[in-house]
Amino acid sequence: MDGHEVNPCIDIQDLFKTFVKGRKEVRALANFSLAVPDAQFVCLLGPSGCGKTTVLRILAGLETKSGGMVKVKGREVSRAGSDRGMVFQEFALFPWRTVRKNIEFGLEIRNMPETERRKLSSKYIDLVGLGGFEDAHPKELSGGMKQRVGIARALANEPAVLLMDEPFGSLDAQTRNLMQKELLRIWSATRKTILFVTHSVDEAVFLADRIVVMTARPGKVREDIAVDLPRPRDRTSSDFISVRGRVLAELDEEFEKARAKELSPD
Amino acid sequence: MTNDPLKALNKKLKDNWTQYLLAVISIAVFIAAWHLYAAYLHENDSGYQGYIPYPLDVAEALVDSFRYEDPNLGLTMFDHIAASLERILLGFVIAIVIAVPLGLLMGTFRKADAVGRPIVELIRPIPPLAWIPIFIVVLGMLWGPVAIVALGIFFPVLLNVMFGVRSVEPTLMDAAKTLGANRSQMFLKVVLPFTTPYLMTGVKVGLGIGWMCIVAAEMVGNYGGGVGYFIKDTADVGAFEYMYAGMIVIGLLGILTTGVAGLIEGRLSRWMGMK
Amino acid sequence: MERNVLYAIVVAAIVIVSSAAAVYVLTGDDEPKEKYPVYFVTMGVSSMKGALASGEIDGFIAWEPFGSEAILEDLGEPLIWSGEIMPNHPCCVVVASTDYLELDLGGGLTGASMTSRFVKAHIEATSWMVDALDDKDSANYTLLVELGVQFTGKSEAIVESALDHMKYGYEMDQTFMEGITNFTEMFIVGGAISEDKLAIGGYEDVDDFVDQYTNETFLDAESAVQPSDVILNPDDPVRIGFLKSDIHELAQWVAQNTTVGGGAKSLFETYGVNVVNASAVGGYASGPEEMDKFAAGEVDIGYLGCAPAIQKHLNAQVHTVIVAQANSEGSAIVVEADAGIESIDDLQNKTIAVPSTGTIQFVLLKRAVNDEGLELKLKT
Ligand SMILES: Nc1ncnc2c1ncn2[C@@H]1O[C@H](COP(=O)(O)OP(=O)(O)OP(=O)(O)O)[C@@H](O)[C@H]1O
Ligand SMILES: [Mg+2]
Repeated sequence: MDGHEVNPCIDIQDLFKTFVKGRKEVRALANFSLAVPDAQFVCLLGPSGCGKTTVLRILAGLETKSGGMVKVKGREVSRAGSDRGMVFQEFALFPWRTVRKNIEFGLEIRNMPETERRKLSSKYIDLVGLGGFEDAHPKELSGGMKQRVGIARALANEPAVLLMDEPFGSLDAQTRNLMQKELLRIWSATRKTILFVTHSVDEAVFLADRIVVMTARPGKVREDIAVDLPRPRDRTSSDFISVRGRVLAELDEEFEKARAKELSPD
Repeated sequence: MTNDPLKALNKKLKDNWTQYLLAVISIAVFIAAWHLYAAYLHENDSGYQGYIPYPLDVAEALVDSFRYEDPNLGLTMFDHIAASLERILLGFVIAIVIAVPLGLLMGTFRKADAVGRPIVELIRPIPPLAWIPIFIVVLGMLWGPVAIVALGIFFPVLLNVMFGVRSVEPTLMDAAKTLGANRSQMFLKVVLPFTTPYLMTGVKVGLGIGWMCIVAAEMVGNYGGGVGYFIKDTADVGAFEYMYAGMIVIGLLGILTTGVAGLIEGRLSRWMGMK
Repeated sequence: MERNVLYAIVVAAIVIVSSAAAVYVLTGDDEPKEKYPVYFVTMGVSSMKGALASGEIDGFIAWEPFGSEAILEDLGEPLIWSGEIMPNHPCCVVVASTDYLELDLGGGLTGASMTSRFVKAHIEATSWMVDALDDKDSANYTLLVELGVQFTGKSEAIVESALDHMKYGYEMDQTFMEGITNFTEMFIVGGAISEDKLAIGGYEDVDDFVDQYTNETFLDAESAVQPSDVILNPDDPVRIGFLKSDIHELAQWVAQNTTVGGGAKSLFETYGVNVVNASAVGGYASGPEEMDKFAAGEVDIGYLGCAPAIQKHLNAQVHTVIVAQANSEGSAIVVEADAGIESIDDLQNKTIAVPSTGTIQFVLLKRAVNDEGLELKLKT
């Protein structure tokens, strides 16, 4: 669990990203390095605007990097591909497609025959617990169910890694807790490598094998904390609370720095 | 909720009876006011009493226009409606066939937009009616009026499709990308379906404008009559009760066609899960 | 064996088909040649020339100078002038608002007395035009053509040709009254006027209507009207209506011209009449439009075609009355040049444009076509 294996699933070294908007340049990432072994659940935490989403988008191939190296399963990332699934905070479901059709989107893209497609989508519908809602449209679903579709859709493509950008950010607290348990169940069933961005320290401690705290912008890794608590985790246990306290302290410091930076110009 | 359309209608009526009542009252009040105004003009032997006929005379003219042929034209109102509908339909098809691909193109590619935009912006504010004399001569009396209608429908469709393409949520495109879609697949499976409701809105607006154009288009020249022609013809000879009858027919046809378009739009967006 | 049967069937089929064809051809020859209808479409007069040029129509019927214009531009040739269809048929008329006739302008002046003076000037102007047309070498003819060019904006050649194919006249004689009666009857038959409108207007029948709708008082009073040294209605000008560029209505233009009056005054001024153009844009686009302006109370006396005057008076009770004739004849059926159309009979299966079915042009075309034993049908 030290992230320095010979062949990590995700391998990022000295990643740089600078956004150029007209004459203004925003340095989002600088010297960001991270290696994640297979089947690990990593949570990415950091002050707002530190570049978490940017890391995910570069990994997904939705954004180009400005420098450094980004590899997934040993292959340099250059553009989007079905080997990296992404789950969005806004769900990003296709409103005109039913649950099943949403889940089958990636399969259709690959021209998978209909019968095979159905088999696969059924499997993931069952996995995420959407049985009975196959023919419903997204607008008929609650937020939690929508995100189940989002997860199933990403998983149906059988990617090596699952990139999740605040997937439960817009859910109410109760649904959120439920979805966290569900995600762990799904994860243990699929053993995907997961990179999970969140603002909730509680969520990170509950879910992750490892929590990576980023510095304020330009973001890089500030602290890499292993969470060696057995699952299912008890949020009220003293171990849980102590890990939580540690992460919170790191985060607070960066948050202050970010605030100070915001007040003084670059 | 229920599959019986009659029951559904009954329920709808029950749920909204105040609205329906108000609608009926408003029409009744309108007709009453109209009647009083006509009576006032006729009592005072006004110089333009004939221009405001009694509602009852208009109703009679409306019925007669369907029942009797015009001796010179050999046409009833049914024929006029058929002729106008045919024009609207042809114009509609032409407008769609050109506006949809163009809208998709201009909405997707900046260069296509740069090329098309000046021409579109230049022609758009020109009322379609201004083209009539040219269209009638260049395109003839069959396609001239059709072209006027097509032009009227064209721009709302074009602009709505363009707007639809531009409104495609970036996260949907991102999602499609991460699911392995290439550019053409994203276009076919994301941009196109996303734009469909916008297209329907354009169609609905366009049909309304199409009806506004057809009256003027048919006034200038046409084959086989048309409701617009009927209105112009009856106004010219001063048979105003017939003119109003024609206007009512146009109004109803407009409501009918945009209603059908609205229904299709509603069905489509419900079927597509967009509403 | 089977082959022979097949041959037999084929031979039999050929025999049957060819003999049937022979019978059809032979008997067809004996029968009188079938007559085809003449087709019409409705179209604004200003579009007709272009439609003829583009081959959209084979011909049109329109008032002058639209016929002459197409002819002189070699786009078409005259098939028949309307005078040949219906000699001396009425065309444009002078119409007065009956509300104006009842108006008291004060100081002993009434709308009726001003109308008398107006009609007097109209008579003088018309007579001047008739005289000018009688002598094409006269200076007055030159002036008339010049005024025609001014008024219509058309070339001298077009104006001269148009002047050749129409008659100016003010009298409401027997022929005129018969023409008006005839047109009114045709409008009723054609559905432009529904029969019950006669009763609504308080008329017993068409004759009664024509009798009442033409008021000869002003023509009759002509000799009693004397020139006036002063303008009698400086503050209440007669608001006159006429159709833009319509050469049939040249009389009012002539009556407004000071040269014609023989000096500093126009004919209207000579008789003490102050006139003003009721239209802000130099004339109305159509007769129906002018009748609408009568209804709106914006016109006192106007020149326009007799058809819209009759129709809108009967159909919509517009308060008007005909006080004089303006011209007769002056319409033509113009057909595509060199298309082999030499007679009305050649119009079979051809498409002729008419301004609308409520015009005298339509009535004239219908008459010409029906007189040939042909049917006039809307092109669909
Ligand atoms: N397309 C872009 N163009 C310009 N600047 C951008 C763009 N995308 C992100 N940025 C900037 O880069 C920085 C990092 O953005 P990013 O979205 O990765 O932060 P984040 O950590 O995900 O923030 P949050 O916690 O609010 O989601 C921010 O300052 C942001 O404004
Ligand atoms: Mg983010």
